[in-house]
Amino acid sequence: MSYIPGQPVTAVVQRVEIHKLRQGENLILGFSIGGGIDQDPSQNPFSEDKTDKVNGWDMTMVTHDQARKRLTKRSEEVVRLLVTRQSLQKAVQQSMLS
Amino acid sequence: MQDRLHILEDLNMLYIRQMALSLEDTELQRKLDHEIRMREGACKLLAACSQREQALEATKSLLVCNSRILSYMGELQRRKEAQVLGKTGRRPSDSGPPAERSPCRGRVCISDLRIPLMWKDTEYFKNKGDLHRWAVFLLLQLGEHIQDTEMILVDRTLTDISFQSNVLFAEAGPDFELRLELYGACVEEEGALTGAPKRLATKLSSSLGRSSGRRVRASLDSAGGSGSSPILLPTPAVGGPRYHLLAHTTLTLAAVQDGFRTHDLTLASHEENPAWLPLYGSVCCRLAAQPLCMTQPTASGTLRVQQAGEMQNWAQVHGVLKGTNLFCYRRPEDADTGEEPLLTIAINKETRVRAGELDQAVGRPFTLSISNQYGDDEVTHTLQTESREALQSWMEALWQLFFDMSQWKQCCDEIMKIETPASRKPPQALAKQGSLYHEMAIEPLDDIAAVTDILTQREGARLETPPPWLAMFTDQPALPNPCSPASVAPAPAWTHTLPWGRPRTFSLDAVPPDHSPRARSVAPLPPQRSPRTRGLCSKGQPRTWLQSPV
Repeated sequence: MSYIPGQPVTAVVQRVEIHKLRQGENLILGFSIGGGIDQDPSQNPFSEDKTDKVNGWDMTMVTHDQARKRLTKRSEEVVRLLVTRQSLQKAVQQSMLS
Repeated sequence: MQDRLHILEDLNMLYIRQMALSLEDTELQRKLDHEIRMREGACKLLAACSQREQALEATKSLLVCNSRILSYMGELQRRKEAQVLGKTGRRPSDSGPPAERSPCRGRVCISDLRIPLMWKDTEYFKNKGDLHRWAVFLLLQLGEHIQDTEMILVDRTLTDISFQSNVLFAEAGPDFELRLELYGACVEEEGALTGAPKRLATKLSSSLGRSSGRRVRASLDSAGGSGSSPILLPTPAVGGPRYHLLAHTTLTLAAVQDGFRTHDLTLASHEENPAWLPLYGSVCCRLAAQPLCMTQPTASGTLRVQQAGEMQNWAQVHGVLKGTNLFCYRRPEDADTGEEPLLTIAINKETRVRAGELDQAVGRPFTLSISNQYGDDEVTHTLQTESREALQSWMEALWQLFFDMSQWKQCCDEIMKIETPASRKPPQALAKQGSLYHEMAIEPLDDIAAVTDILTQREGARLETPPPWLAMFTDQPALPNPCSPASVAPAPAWTHTLPWGRPRTFSLDAVPPDHSPRARSVAPLPPQRSPRTRGLCSKGQPRTWLQSPV
């Protein structure tokens, strides 16, 4: 079964809370994001993390530009992400077995 | 001075050995002898080794040996004192419960230790200055037992110090105190100044940056000797690395949980210390405890249990009291073969047990009843033991179990899993710890399947069918979306060159390109983006994969 964008999906997620750093006058997170619903997923050289939600905003159906804007709001000092990654599945399995 | 130190050292060793002998405590004596030999070996190795990594490992072994010797000596002194004062064990009594009930022992295991670091953001991003490196390890002590983790090299590219070790302490009581100590040593770059003549060294160190100069001077001043050993166990004054205590904390039963928890660390060193590391101030770990009453049977024997609903029909079973259950097996062998028991009675903090005659048990002496509350219902099982002595020993076992449960608290709710620590792997090759990003160099024309292979190998074999949401991570392009069914072009061969050249893999310590704060670092693309409407009806299949710093 393939994942169809736009359809509801249930996944194992991890909550991540990041406080932005101050670099000069700006608040930055300190990493880069890639992809977006308008991007070609087959060119993704990493496939580690996918972000589902940023500060409550849904990110499963956003373009690259929208994602970047949601993460770089000047007024927000803290970013709360819901992130999913493949290795979470292994972690869940291991904890279910034990 | 050196000679005097040697004499003191020999005298101390003699004293330690004599004390061990006089107590005739063969176990502790054997351990002490072993540590003393290890210590001598470590001293010799430290004097002989030339490589920095060897020196770090040898100094660490020396510190651990010293700590163990001191702890065993402390234990010996305690036992000697107890012997002299004439304290004996509990008097055996024929009747009545023992005056003091002691809780059962248990196994305590600490694993998945992680200590977050907090680098100053200016240092992290500008990547200026030398790459300072530190060697750190944890010393864990419970009672007189001391264990250590592996040594890890830390530098600015790490956000946390993660230890792979699983450390297990057997024979712990519920009142245990697990002391955790983090030791660190500054690792100077090659050509360190410890060997250089003093005058040159001072001149050089004053011309280095302020903070690195301070470190060098501090390490020169304090050459030789391991971190916390007092004059009692002097070490040869070799110009080797020196470990300092960076932080410590003590964990008790309250911290035990079958999951990860974060605890506060007490920081023990300040910025002037040469080995100072910017610690965030907490340590995450999984601290699990398995009391013996949960993993081993505490009583077993023949019982007769009243069948539900049948007043006169009592079945003979083999009862085994283990953990929070009384298992009643049809035959004694079933307990070992893993057969299902005929009946399982729960025993927990809420269970009530009564001994004595009951009106239903006319003509059946030596019974005890166990009652549990399930919601509004109370379920009572009545069991008959073989004799008065058997009844007493079952009651005693049950009282001991209730006592253990009250002492071990949350550890008796469910058995916490403890993995037997694997034998320590030899110290890893001391290459800089890299992330996945360092490992992959991706050409635009590479087969993306090769990347997936690398990732799959790292993840390990799947145990069962992957759940549906993992399909998000496959390399298959998404199914054509419903809003443009027929006109979607087939997925283009993605071997075309990308407009801005090779996609860069950002690694953790890369210098981010200089850019104005809000500008993107990707080249401008032909305007392909559809207006921001719901749905994905962009013109044709997307051909790009953008990355931006945030």
